[in-house]
Amino acid sequence: MSERALSLQELVKDFNGKRAVDAISFEVQRGEILGLLGPNGAGKTTTMRMVMNIIAPDAGRVEILGQRFSEKMKDRIGYLPEERGLYRKLKVMDTLLFLGELKGMKAAVVRERGRRLLKQFQLEGYEEKKVEELSKGMAQKLQFIATILHDPELLILDEPFAGLDPLNIELVKDIILERRRAGTTIIYSTHLMEYAEKTVDSLVMIDKGRKVIDGSLAAVKAEYGQRFVRVQYEGDARFVKELPYVRSCRDSGRELEVELDDLSRRELLLRDLLGKVGVIGFQLSEPSLQNIFIRKVQEGAGA
Amino acid sequence: MKKIIAVIKKEYKAIVKKKSFIIMTVLTPVLMGGMMFVPVMLMKMGRSEKKIAVADFAGGYIEALSARSGKRPAAEKGPMDLEGSMRRTRESEVAGLIRFLPAKTQGRAASAVVTEYEQKILKKEIDGLLLIPADVKAQRQVSYYATSISDFATNSFISSTLRTVISQQLLLEKRIDPAVVDEATRDIEVDTFKVKKEGTTRSSSGMDYIMSLFMMVILFGVLIGYGQMIMRGVLEEKNSRISEILISSARPTQIFYGKILGIGLAGLTQVALWIVLGAVLVSRFSGMVDNAILSFLTAEIGVYFVIFFILGFFIYAIPYAIVGAAVNTDQEAQQFSTAIVWMMLIPYFIGFSATQNPNSTLALVASLIPFFTPILMFMRITGATPPLWQISTSIALCLLTVWGLAWVGAKIFRVGMLMYGKKPSLGEILRWLRYK
Repeated sequence: MSERALSLQELVKDFNGKRAVDAISFEVQRGEILGLLGPNGAGKTTTMRMVMNIIAPDAGRVEILGQRFSEKMKDRIGYLPEERGLYRKLKVMDTLLFLGELKGMKAAVVRERGRRLLKQFQLEGYEEKKVEELSKGMAQKLQFIATILHDPELLILDEPFAGLDPLNIELVKDIILERRRAGTTIIYSTHLMEYAEKTVDSLVMIDKGRKVIDGSLAAVKAEYGQRFVRVQYEGDARFVKELPYVRSCRDSGRELEVELDDLSRRELLLRDLLGKVGVIGFQLSEPSLQNIFIRKVQEGAGA
Repeated sequence: MKKIIAVIKKEYKAIVKKKSFIIMTVLTPVLMGGMMFVPVMLMKMGRSEKKIAVADFAGGYIEALSARSGKRPAAEKGPMDLEGSMRRTRESEVAGLIRFLPAKTQGRAASAVVTEYEQKILKKEIDGLLLIPADVKAQRQVSYYATSISDFATNSFISSTLRTVISQQLLLEKRIDPAVVDEATRDIEVDTFKVKKEGTTRSSSGMDYIMSLFMMVILFGVLIGYGQMIMRGVLEEKNSRISEILISSARPTQIFYGKILGIGLAGLTQVALWIVLGAVLVSRFSGMVDNAILSFLTAEIGVYFVIFFILGFFIYAIPYAIVGAAVNTDQEAQQFSTAIVWMMLIPYFIGFSATQNPNSTLALVASLIPFFTPILMFMRITGATPPLWQISTSIALCLLTVWGLAWVGAKIFRVGMLMYGKKPSLGEILRWLRYK
């Protein structure tokens, strides 16, 4: 059996003459979590839809679980589309029964697993409620349950955290990690970098339909991490971004995340800071994904 | 196959459990019963008494007219006798509603009387003026002045009454025995009998016409109702984006056929329940229901109703499903569904003439066009059973059309379900057919 759960080769998709996805290739290893990151309109959803064979690519190919996409494959994949929706008039358990049977499950199995998952998601007792009676967050959770109900080998989640409150984001994140421990391969797209940072094994960043970064989280961070300094301070640090050796600077009011053109300049920076602001902390750091993301997108915009 | 069944189950349950389904299932047979009496009631209520002035220059005719209009035929079978009332709504019923008033003729010229009554008619003091000249016996000509002269029942009542009176006078002048004269000029009523394979039954053509229209209205209503239900269902899936989950779980064709079959089965369940309920109602109240209705509602009609419901369902449901998949908003859907309703109205209008003339060339040709067949062929069958080859040809053509529609529908459904945002042009939709 192939070690690759998914492989995309030179995927291309045009919409009305506009290139939405431009020769994107990447691979996902079995059992890992891959984050597909990028700004709105970058082509994340289009890429996922092509993986799910919902739209056909104009060029390139997709291999899932070592094979070309086929109908039988559908039962082994769980897909959570970006736009959520369920039948408003259908009851919670009936919804799970329908979507489960559509994945080839037996009704009895759906009931048993469905009940367990509803409990895990604090939706116990809602089995006979209609979907329209649920709150938005509950409906989102129900949709997530429906996605993992049939215990898929591969989970493809498009913006799984969108529209959830912080508690439910934690819940979904826990479930994602639990699934990985059970051996499921997971791909999810998000623009919430902090969560990606804590969960993904590897990541692919795309902007304007093109892949800009690809690799394991550690490798990506290492690549950008040589030149970053984090400074906790008091005072007015606006002058920092004007310094000639500073490539970029993110100011959060009490903390600076400074990218130097070379790490050897760090002492120069410290000297420039002293006397102008009160320095509380100064350390070399990994860049946050957020920072890498913003920098990459800005580079793309400048290019 | 298992996946199609899952879709069928879901769609079927979603409809059958709805309150509106249960209400309509029970209410329709009740309404149907009510509807059978309403047209007759309306016909009765729609007629008000007419006042007609008679300028009787010949003398003696106004008495004859009044006498005949005064005697209403006695009810034959009691209040539930629909057939009797249908017949009475013609000449004799009209006669009972006319009051003849004498106009002054002594020493006046006919033209003076006409001028006077023209004013009265315009002021609506009186409905009409009947001028009987002195030489009516020889000339056989009278004049009728009124604002509305298209009331054939009134006209024919007047002419037949005068003819009878003149005949009587002529015979009496020839010294024929008055009893013989009465016997010779007695009114004639025409009883109509319908010849059918199952046996000939006494029936009034009016009753058949009403029943036939009535069944057609039900068929029409049910087909539109279920068609729109499919359209809204598809649109809901599209707008709520469930379509993506569905298509990532099963083949688009499985979803498409499952949906149409599931909703179709729900419709069939409803029709079956109506037939059972209707049969129970008819047998329970058979004493009160007119023979004409009983002879109309045969098992054969029931079977054909089911056959043409199924064919009509597919022929109209698939276009509705296509519309649902191709458009994005309710307004757009409404525009297209109006077009489908118009397509269904054509056979309906042809049907009006087809009930009276079920074997005309127009009825024959139109009833073989698949989009018209379900309604028109059914109408022709209720009117006068057409030859079997025509029925079977029309059913075969329908099946072929359904097969073609299903193929086209599945293709458009597959692309349309995932196409959000802009409204596709017709050219684009045609291009969807070429997608694999």
